[in-house]
Amino acid sequence: MKRRTMIAGGAVAGLAAAGAWRLGLLGGYAPTPYDDLLDQLDARDDAILLGQKATDMPEARALADELRSHIGEAGLAAAVSGDIAAGRMTEVAGWILPQTVAQMAALAAKA
Amino acid sequence: MSAFIDARTIETGTSQSPDLAIIGGGPAGIALAMALADTQFKVLLLESGGMNFDPAVQKMYAGQETGYEPLDADRLRYLGGGTNHWGGWCRPMDASDFMIRDWVPSSGWPFGRETLEPYFPRAQSLVEAGAWAYDRGGDALASSHAPMLPLGKGGIYTTWFQFSKMQDDVLPTQFGHRYADDLRGQANLTVWLNANVTGIRLAANGASVDHLDVATLNGKSFTVKPRYTVLACGGIENARLLLVSNDVMQTGIGNGADLVGRYFADNPIPRDVATMVVFGGKLASYYSDRMDMGHGARLKAAFAPTDDYRGIARIGGSLTTVEQPVDLDDVGKAAVATTAAALGVDAGSARAYSLGCGLELIPDPDRRVTLTPEKDALGLARLKMVNTISDEDFARYRRTLEELGRQLLASKSGMLRINCTTREEWMKNMDWGHHHLGTTRMHDDPRRGVVDSNSRVHGLPNLYVAGSSVFPSYGASNPTMNLIALTLRLADHIKAVMA
Repeated sequence: MKRRTMIAGGAVAGLAAAGAWRLGLLGGYAPTPYDDLLDQLDARDDAILLGQKATDMPEARALADELRSHIGEAGLAAAVSGDIAAGRMTEVAGWILPQTVAQMAALAAKA
Repeated sequence: MSAFIDARTIETGTSQSPDLAIIGGGPAGIALAMALADTQFKVLLLESGGMNFDPAVQKMYAGQETGYEPLDADRLRYLGGGTNHWGGWCRPMDASDFMIRDWVPSSGWPFGRETLEPYFPRAQSLVEAGAWAYDRGGDALASSHAPMLPLGKGGIYTTWFQFSKMQDDVLPTQFGHRYADDLRGQANLTVWLNANVTGIRLAANGASVDHLDVATLNGKSFTVKPRYTVLACGGIENARLLLVSNDVMQTGIGNGADLVGRYFADNPIPRDVATMVVFGGKLASYYSDRMDMGHGARLKAAFAPTDDYRGIARIGGSLTTVEQPVDLDDVGKAAVATTAAALGVDAGSARAYSLGCGLELIPDPDRRVTLTPEKDALGLARLKMVNTISDEDFARYRRTLEELGRQLLASKSGMLRINCTTREEWMKNMDWGHHHLGTTRMHDDPRRGVVDSNSRVHGLPNLYVAGSSVFPSYGASNPTMNLIALTLRLADHIKAVMA
């Protein structure tokens, strides 16, 4: 097989795999630029559903920047606890949520 | 032995001159009469109704209303008054209910809760609500039965209702039936049933009460000429009787500052205001139902803002209670799963419960009763009630729910959804407590109150008002036990001035 054919075949396979991810056919999620954040979600499907109700949120890149800055090295659980202690709460569909949870859900929905 | 006399059998023209006339045989009137049992004063209690419901008597309550329930539907006009249909919910008012709060216009009593505290034990005994177990006492009792739902540190705490229970498990205490024998056994007391006071008549110079006009529905009329009079007809009728007694003071008795009938309030009870999810699923039964804790105490938990937090968040009083289990929609399930995962909590057994509440309204002079041209069977002008609830009342309570939601998350015990945002959503499941407050408000300044701090009508040395109509600001607690405590304080004052 020629090298050009191999490259083309690999690209097609990659696109097909990404499509399958998006369709949920492979049981995971398509890669996103925000997977360092979204991989911290244990319930990503639920987060997507919740995040679709999170209006008035910035675009994905800005959200991700803010989340990376906020979560930092401490991790999601610590950021969430910090939100609760500091009263950084956000309402999504009536639910009173720690701001980080709401932003993560919104990012999951936008990604 | 005292006498219960059916005024319909008394000869027209009869005159009585008691030391004290009590107009109204509801919880305030009965508590006051009983508190004077050990005195030498001759007391006459005038009750419009008899021992039981009579539609013809009840109809005298009818009027016009906007934004409220029919005026002849949420009161009862026979001995025992409102206790003939109350729910028995009891809770002492909070200290901040009495305070001047700069975020609550026209708020503040002339004295603090400590002034009423000596009277709470007797009031609690009269309503038969068992051992005093409100607040921390309730925590200990309840925890011995089942764990309380933990709340993280914050502005909301778990508090307790207690419930009146009449003897032999009849719930709750109906003052007319419960205390009829006590009243009959009181040597210095006469009770006239079916005796309607149709006017409080002042001396020609307007400086004191001269006599009361009394009439029956079968055409009898009498005069009562007491040394002192206490008006105890309930939070709406007290104002009515002052307003219709306008032969000397043309705007009505005590109404020189145009306050009689204004500042009416009730405790709105919107249902299903929020959904509370308990991650662990289990919630002790005393959250959703009253539970017998022993010592006669039947408790139900509620969530209330602390006095400090009410100031910090600039909110009013509220008591939030669990109503019943509910199902979550898909978004709700997603919110629980996402949040619990982020908290590292297992929510596999989570259950959801709807919440309701009782609210304190912001005092409003335009929420009021006024006289109409229409007359009742005895010729008294009927009332028009204008009742309102402001968007700010809802907004303040919303902040309370937000804090409760935060504290549930802080304890990792649960989370909360607020179900109401628009006015229509708040009003959709609105009930009222039928707590009639504020129409003869208390203030030491006669320009700002109808009665002074002793419940005496400004400018009249021998006329007092008992009951929740004197509450100048309201709190969220059910008023009956509180108004009885206030009446017992009035009894001490009256004993002193009549001696």
